[in-house]
Amino acid sequence: MEPLGEQERERLLHTQRLKAAVHYTVGCLCQEVAEDKGIQFSKQTIAAISEITFRQCENFAKDLEMFARHGKRTVINSEDVKLLARRSNSLLRYITQKSEELALNNLEQKERKKKKSSAAKGRTTSDEQVEAVMAESEDSNMA
Amino acid sequence: MEKREESASGFRKETVNKILHLHFKDDKTRVSSDALLLMAEMLNVFVREAAARSARQAQAEDLDRVDIEHVEKVLPQLVCKV
Repeated sequence: MEPLGEQERERLLHTQRLKAAVHYTVGCLCQEVAEDKGIQFSKQTIAAISEITFRQCENFAKDLEMFARHGKRTVINSEDVKLLARRSNSLLRYITQKSEELALNNLEQKERKKKKSSAAKGRTTSDEQVEAVMAESEDSNMA
Repeated sequence: MEKREESASGFRKETVNKILHLHFKDDKTRVSSDALLLMAEMLNVFVREAAARSARQAQAEDLDRVDIEHVEKVLPQLVCKV
């Protein structure tokens, strides 16, 4: 059997490290479910779920890449992820809700940055007050 | 500093990013920050569902321990609906 080339070895190690990270996270999540349901998970079960999850990621990645390409983009965005979640109604609702929360969060962060940068530019206090009022009215419209 | 997720457990953005990049065909493909967060959530849900359904299967068989065969039984429905 031919010895692995340097690059292949690197890739294998990289994959193994990622699988270990997944395994750890799966273990944590299963522990929560175990406590919730008052039941125990065998080690093999955690390993199996971990393996399945890792494999599922390959399908996810390829689908996401295709969705983005279909939209003539190289950057995968939230819409692509929602498309991925389309098969289960409850999953789609959950992901859509999370997506809206993120969008709201981003908007709030932008507002905070705007206020900071206008202060840094050394504008007069009256200008800042006008901006603050405008930002607040924008927020109330968001409901 | 980025805001941390409320729950301590769950997939981290960097891990999800690296895993996805393993399988991209195009070098130029990237994932937006929001999409990464959403994918982390998807994976959390996926794992929790797998665990919960397997647990329910074991409980239906009057057992207090979840083993591989319970995962095998719930696997087809889990993977098909995602």
